[in-house]
Formats: sequence, C-alpha cells, structure tokens
Amino acid sequence: MMPQLVTVRVKRPDRRRIRIWVPILPVVLVLSPIVVLAVLGAVVACVIFRVDVVKALRTGWRIVFALPGTRFDIEYSRTAVLVAVR
Amino acid sequence: MNEQRKDVLDMLVEGKITAEEAERLIAALERDPYPATSSPDARPKGKAKYLRLIAHTFDEGEPGRIDVRVPLQLLRAGVQLAALIPPRALERANAELDRSGVPFDLTQLKPEHLEALVEHLDEVTLEVDQPDAKIRVYCE
Repeated sequence: MMPQLVTVRVKRPDRRRIRIWVPILPVVLVLSPIVVLAVLGAVVACVIFRVDVVKALRTGWRIVFALPGTRFDIEYSRTAVLVAVR
Repeated sequence: MNEQRKDVLDMLVEGKITAEEAERLIAALERDPYPATSSPDARPKGKAKYLRLIAHTFDEGEPGRIDVRVPLQLLRAGVQLAALIPPRALERANAELDRSGVPFDLTQLKPEHLEALVEHLDEVTLEVDQPDAKIRVYCE
C-alpha cells in the first residue's frame, strides 16, 4: 500500500508541541515536476553506473510501498520527536 | 516487582540517580512498558510484520527513550538494493575493507542470502541490559 500520511510530532523542552500531518498524495502531485526530474536523474545515474534501470526503479517503488507502518519515536529528557508513516 | 522498575530503584539506592530522576525514569517505563523476558511467549504468535527496537537510556542524568518500528517488508525491499551496487563499487569497497583488516568479500553477498536472513529475523530477540541502558530488538 502506498504511504498516505506522514505524521511528525515534536515536543520541545518548553512543553510546546508541534504536530504536522503531511498527506503524501497531494504533496506528490504538487511536487510532480520535481519528482519527474528526480526519476529522470535516477535513470541517467543508472545508465552512467551501468545499473539495470528497470530493477532500480522497481526496487525504489517497492521501498516506497513498504514504508507504511514505519515509526521513529525518540525522547530525551523533555524533548521528543515522532515520525510515523501510515 | 517489574525488573526495570527494580533496576531504577537500585540505582536510586546506590546514589547513582536522584529521587526526581528515578521518578521520571519510572514514569517513562510506565508509558512504554515492555516484557522483560525473551521467551517466545512474550510476543503474540503469528508471522512477524515489524522489526522493533526499544531503548531506554539514562545519559547524564536525563532519561531517554528510542522506539523504532520498521516493517520487515521494508527490509526485504531494502536488501534488493544490494543487487544494484555496481561491480566496480563492490571491488573498491572490498579493497578498502581488506586494507582495514576486514577481509570480507561483498561480491558474495547476494540478495537471496539477505532475504533468507530477513525471513528468519522474526525468531531473533536481542536484549542488552546495562545500568544506564536497556535495549531490546525483536520482531512483532
């Protein structure tokens, strides 16, 4: 399943909290020109370094699709950071 | 009594931490308890889906907690990257490893071997128990 939402939560020492929800699909659509350029750049790099382009793109696709469920939650003293991909 | 809580109280008795620090550590443990045993019964039966790392640290008087959950599917996809490393890069990496005293041949590292390793990760539980840090790596 493609990642749909990235949640970022930051708790600062002064007890202020920041919560950001990033919906992936709209962001990818807005940044689609950059995404296309990045993919083209990756293809060129694959050709230069003689790496199988199809295999590289397929692996990248599999990694992106395997991201949901990933979660990093780090807390130190009164500071905490959470990044979760759903 | 919970083993982690007992360790915190021991540190308090030994004077390694103050009462306030002990209270914060116990509060942190209560927020995210994890079983102290490494028996297979400690986690639900069935195919594991995630690799989990939980660490409780106590650094310079401040309690810390790291909780990382990575889907095993992501590891399986990641090991495919090994097949994409250009042979020239592998040769250079081998040379550098050899020079550093690690005679490891990366060209022998095949994605299927790594996949087999990931497949059997769900049977692995790693626990590190030290006075100032407790780390547990397991699959769930």
